[in-house]
Order: sequence, then C-alpha cells, then structure tokens
Amino acid sequence: MVEPAPAAAPRLLHLQGCKVARAQGGSRFELEIPEFEVTPGAFIAVTGESGCGKSTLLDLLALVLRPEPGGRFLLLDGDEEVDVGALWAEDDEQALARLRRRRLGYVPQSGGLIPFLGVAANLYLPPRLNGQRDYRGRIHAQAERMGVAGLFDRMPASLSGGQRQRVAILRAMAHRPALILADEPTAAVDSERAHRILAQFHDLAREEGTAIVMVTHDRSLVAQGVDRHYGFEVDASDERHVRSRCVRRA
Amino acid sequence: MKRLLPELAAADLRHEWILTLCLVIAVAAVVAPLLVLLGLKYGTIATLRQQLVENPAYREIRPAQTQEYRRAWLDRLEDDPAVQFLVPTISPAASVIQARGADGRYHNLDLLPTAPGDPLLLAHGVPVPGPGACVLTAPAARRLGVERGDRLTLRATRRRKGRGEYGPATLEVAGVLPEAAGTLARVYAPLELVEAVERFKQGFGVPERGWPGGEPVPFASYQAVLVLSPKPLPPLQRNALLIESGLADIEPLDAQALARWLPFSLPSGWEAWALTVPRGHVSHAAWRAVKQKLRGRGAVVLPAVARFELMLEGETVTTYGLSLSATDARRLSRPATPWGGVRRAPDSRSLLQVLAPAAHAGESRLQARFQGRLPLEFPLRVVGAAEGPYAVVPVELAGWLQTARRRPVRFEAGAFRMETGGYRGFRLYTHTIDQVPALARRLEAEGVPVVAEIEAITRIQVLDRGLTRLFWLIAVLGIGGGVAVLVASLYASVERKRRDLAMLRLIGFSRGDLFLFPVFEGLMIAGGGLLTALGSYAALAAVINRVFAEEMPASGRICQLPAGHVAAAAALTLGVAVASALLAAWKATHIDPADAIRDE
Repeated sequence: MVEPAPAAAPRLLHLQGCKVARAQGGSRFELEIPEFEVTPGAFIAVTGESGCGKSTLLDLLALVLRPEPGGRFLLLDGDEEVDVGALWAEDDEQALARLRRRRLGYVPQSGGLIPFLGVAANLYLPPRLNGQRDYRGRIHAQAERMGVAGLFDRMPASLSGGQRQRVAILRAMAHRPALILADEPTAAVDSERAHRILAQFHDLAREEGTAIVMVTHDRSLVAQGVDRHYGFEVDASDERHVRSRCVRRA
Repeated sequence: MKRLLPELAAADLRHEWILTLCLVIAVAAVVAPLLVLLGLKYGTIATLRQQLVENPAYREIRPAQTQEYRRAWLDRLEDDPAVQFLVPTISPAASVIQARGADGRYHNLDLLPTAPGDPLLLAHGVPVPGPGACVLTAPAARRLGVERGDRLTLRATRRRKGRGEYGPATLEVAGVLPEAAGTLARVYAPLELVEAVERFKQGFGVPERGWPGGEPVPFASYQAVLVLSPKPLPPLQRNALLIESGLADIEPLDAQALARWLPFSLPSGWEAWALTVPRGHVSHAAWRAVKQKLRGRGAVVLPAVARFELMLEGETVTTYGLSLSATDARRLSRPATPWGGVRRAPDSRSLLQVLAPAAHAGESRLQARFQGRLPLEFPLRVVGAAEGPYAVVPVELAGWLQTARRRPVRFEAGAFRMETGGYRGFRLYTHTIDQVPALARRLEAEGVPVVAEIEAITRIQVLDRGLTRLFWLIAVLGIGGGVAVLVASLYASVERKRRDLAMLRLIGFSRGDLFLFPVFEGLMIAGGGLLTALGSYAALAAVINRVFAEEMPASGRICQLPAGHVAAAAALTLGVAVASALLAAWKATHIDPADAIRDE
C-alpha cells in the first residue's frame, strides 16, 4: 500500500485521483482532486469562489469527510506514511481521531473557540489532549508575539473578531501539529488586519516547521510567500449535478 | 486526559451557571422531600420499634394456661438462644400473699418470682431483689402506702382444721416499679420465697423460715374400696354405701374380676363389690366411711389398687397391694399380712416389705423399680413368700405408687417424699422483639399455648411495609419528574452545543469522550442537587424533631436516617442522573466533527 517515498523532500500529505461527493437537498456535488501535495513546512493556498468546493476539500483533508473508494490519500505520521483511504475503508474512527488529534490543527472561519473555556484553557486543550507537558511557556511566548498574551483570563465571547482569530490560530498550533488547516481564517476582520494576522501566522508556522493549507476567497492574501497555489475548475452546467476539479495554479 | 473531560463538563456547567443552578435546584426539589419522607418513615418506625424494644412487656411470652412444667423442660427452654430470661412460676392460686400496709391492715397481693437479670425490673431501673428483699409494682406500693427502703411484712396464709394459719416474712422494699411496668398490685421476690409460700399453702412446714406444718409425705391414691360380704347385700344397703362416702359407683365382682384386685379367691357364698369414682382416686377417708357403715355385718372392707407391674431385681413382676388385718384374715380364713391392716399414715420404713414371688423367696431384700412421674428405686424387705408367681406389698405402698404416677414423688434417704407444688408457669423474655413470633409459634407447636404481644410487633411490620410502599409511590412520581427535567435539559444542552462539541471532535476527542460529556454533567448536577437536598433535609429534620420532641420518648426522633439509607439515596440519585444523561450522550456521539467547519 505504502510506496517508498521519493528521494526528494518527503511529502507530508499526498492525494492522487481522489474523489468526494456530497448530496444536498436533491442536488449532488462532486469534487475531484487529481493531485494534491503538501511538503513539511509548506504554505499552500487554496482559492475559489463560494460553492466551488473549498470547504469540502478541507473536510477531506481534516479527515472528517469520507472519500469515495479508489485514489490515494497518504498522511505522514512521524516517520510513517499512513494510508488514510484505507482507514476510512476500515471505518477505523479511533485511528482517524488519533491522527487528527496529533498531526492536524484547524482554524475555522469563526475561530471555533470553546465558549465555556477561557482563552488559556482553550489554548491548553490540544496539548493536554495529546498528553504533552511544558507547553505553557511556549504558548505564552507565541501569544506575546501575536499580541494576545494579555487575554488569557478572558472568555472567548468577550474578544474582538481579530483577537478571536489570533487565539484560534494559536490553538491550532498549540500541540505542534505537522499541518494546520485554515478555513478563511481572516474572513471576519478587515483587510489590513487580515494581512497582519496572516503574516504573523506564516512566520510562526515557518519557525515551527508547520505546513499550512489555507482556504480563502481573497486572492490578495495569497501573494505573500505562498509555496503552492490550488484553485478550482467548476462545471455547473447541470444544476443538479455540480462537478469541480481542484487544480494547481501558477 | 482522564481529568480533562470532567474539567470540561465542570467548565461548561460553570459557564452556564444560571441554567446549572436551576437544574441543581430541580434535582434538590425532587430529592429533598423524598429524603424528609424517608426520614419520617424511618424515624416513625424506629421510634415505634424502640418503644417496643425498651418495654420488656413486648418481649415477654407467657403461658396461656396453667399446666405443669418439668424442670428439665424449663431448663432446655432457658438454653434456647432466643431466651434472655426465664424464671418458673407457681400456680396462680398459691401465689396470693398478704402484705401489711402502712395502716396496719393486710392487703392481698400477687406474688411473682424474679431472678438476677430480670428484664422487667432492669428496664425500669429497679434492682433485682436478693434474699430478704422484694420489689413492688406502683399500684401495690400505693395500696400499701410504702416506698423504697421501707420494711414490709408479708405473710403466707392457709386454713387448716378450720383455723387460719400464717407464715410471716419481713422484706426490704428494694424498689418500686413505675406505672408503665404494670397495673396490677404485685410483689416480685426471689423464687425461693415464692416456693416457700406455696409449700406452706399446701399444708407443709417450711423449717428454714420457721413456718409450721407437716412433712411432705405422699398420700395413698386407691382405685376402689372392695366390699367382701358373706351374705348378699340388699340394693338399698348397697346404695346407702355411696352416700357421704365420696364414692359414685358400686359394681358386683365375679371371681375373674376380683382377680384383678386380690391374689386369692373368696370362700364360697361370699360376694364381692367394688366401689369406685369415675375419675380421681379413692381416699383413705372414703374407705373409712364405708368400713364404718358395714360395721358389725361380718363384711371385710379393703382399700384396693388393681394389680400392677413392679420391677424386682430387673424382672417385671405382677404385684398386688394388700394389707389384711388379723380380724379380716380370720373372716376370710386366710393368713394376715405380716404388716397387718391398713393404716392412715404409715411411715416409709414400715411399707418397704414384700411377700416375694416363689423365685425370690429365699432372698432377704429385693431392689424394686417403679416408673412414676419420676423414676423410683427402693429396697423391699422380704418378709415371706407369696402363694404364686406374684409379689404382694402393703396396699398403702401400692396407693403411694399410684400417687407417684401423677405427682412427683422421690425416694430419698430411705423415705418417700412428695415434691411440693411443681412449676405451673413461667416468666420468659426474649432478647429482641423479632424473636417473639417464632418462639411463640414453636411453644404452641410443643403444646404450650402462649400469650405474646405478637400483634403489636406485626402491626409495626405491616405499617412499615405500607409506608414503604407509599414512599416508593411518591418517589416514583418525584423521580419521574426529575428524570424528565434532566433528560430534556441535558439533551437540549447537547443540541445547543452541537458546534462546540463538534469542534472538540475536530480537535481529536473521540466519540466515547463525547458520550461521557453529558454523563459527567448529569453526575455533577445530581451531586450538587444531592448536597443541596441533604442540607435541606438536615435543616428540616432538625426543625421537625424539635417540634415533635415533646411528644416523643427521650430516645426517639421522628425524622432520622441511618447512613446506609443516605448512601442508598445518593447512589440512586447519581444512578438516575446517569440514566437520564444516556439520551443526550447518545445524541452527542452522533455529532459529526465536520459540523464544526460548516458555518451556516
């Protein structure tokens, strides 16, 4: 199942010929991913209009959406390449949850902070869940750089949109995952602030060696330091059966 | 990780503290009244039981009838593990004693035996009286006008030969029982005094107390008076024999019937009659009366006992009782018996004689055994030979042995002696009230009808069952409501936090973790409710107990719960909370982590 890694840089994530389908209210949406590759520490941008399949792609990468049978879906877990397609085929939820817990971080559009936990508890949740120790100093240092260190005692509901997104980014990184999936992480803030947040995010990820897959509809955000850029080709000729292909851009 | 989930659940409850508070109050509102109800039920039953336990009357088993109880049987009963205390009593008629009151007049009181460990006395804080002391019931003390520490003169009474006789005793009043211990005028004294009173009343002396009276020598119980007449008795005369003799029947005896009574046949022309009573025995006096009436008619009148079996040197020998005076012997042309005619009060020695059967004629003494109420063994002096394979003993001895069949007679130190009285009842207390029904049933099965406060005990058991049923009825209603509230709230909470829980799944919590999330919340709410309920219960119970304190006995609390009940209530509450959380938990496991990403 597992092919020997190519001599070049190892691939953190590799999808080849994958397909996902979604049925919604009588219409069907199908996304095809001929080739999708993430190397460790890379910054990948995925852009497209709404309805093109950005979120579907993220669900697939986040291991919460079952791919159609066939195709390759490999994820590097430490030194080992795990066949995610096979885990889905076996319905091995435990293994998928473990991969998600250890290797992935997620920044949802609206932050996704747990409302009944304070900022600090939110940030400490992923490392605690992974049984890690000595994470407080590191997280605090990162929070200083993101300018939210003073908010540790606050509840998420009392934060501004920008603060919330910064904390969400920090939480996604808190357990030092290999890959962070970010879904329009700056949609809720103004453009100027969005650029600043994104730059800080990018810097931290590079220092930690963490790869980022960021989905956005705002092409202007993609310019700076993106290693690879994917977009979508949508065939909406049949309203009841929309097809989309995820393709690499320049 | 293990502590993470309870922490998350606690954080959630704290965050929504108003909602949490409402749920805690809802749980407490169900649990607290149930605890109070349970406490009232337990306290009521416990108090009722306590009253029974504290009052030894409820542990007493009394014989319903006066009958004779053997010492051995009483000893065995006393060894029963359920029996705490047992003292035999005498016949109620013999237990009446007179006591001199402060006014100098004598009053009749019931005399009952007591012994160390008597629960009736000890339960009321009264010492068990030793020799020379007694305890009075409150009515007795009131009637006599005496109190604790006074000296009290008692006297046993009897009538003999038309005169009243008294056996006096002076005792110290060691204590007076309270009204609750009994409403009859009674004296409790050591068994020894009670037995002495009984002996005295039966006409015997009690030398150790200086009370005069006879020795307890057995009396003869004859079965018939035989009239042997050389000429026919006219019917009128026959009937006259029954008048004022205490005898009821007169029957002619043919030769064969006569052989039951006498070891010889009559001269020709004689006829024989047997005078008897249908039940009971024929006394010496009856014989004397008949003999008197036939005086000068040449008839021979003998008291008689039907031939019976006696063990002589280990062999069963048919034995006749016969005492024939020289005069009577002459009339019958027979030899007199060596011991002469019938005497009213012979001594034992003069009766221990026998005309031995041929097989033993050469021996000087024969050891005899007789199975009466008590086994008897005594030596007989051989004073001659019988005319056949039977033995002949004085008819007085035969009469004593008849008495020994019904009454306890002993042979000790060369003499027969009646055991006086005998036990006609007992005072018995069990250790606990719960042992009463079973022991009472067993005694009834042994043929001893008894009186016990079984009804009071079963009444409490029935009340307990009824209250328990009522409690559960109310509990089911209350718990049902509580469950509905918890189920709805926990379910709604999961539904409301759908996205947050999905985010937890996305972060990497498993389905099992999410299952436990509402379960922990349910447990915490129930725990909070339980603590609140226990606090409310404690406060309310204290108030209730204070309000009812005056109506309750010193040791009773109307509202109380043992630790076991509290633990059970806690376990039940938490168990129900977990059960209530299951629907929400099931719902939580079906949350899709992808829901966290969907932002619609």
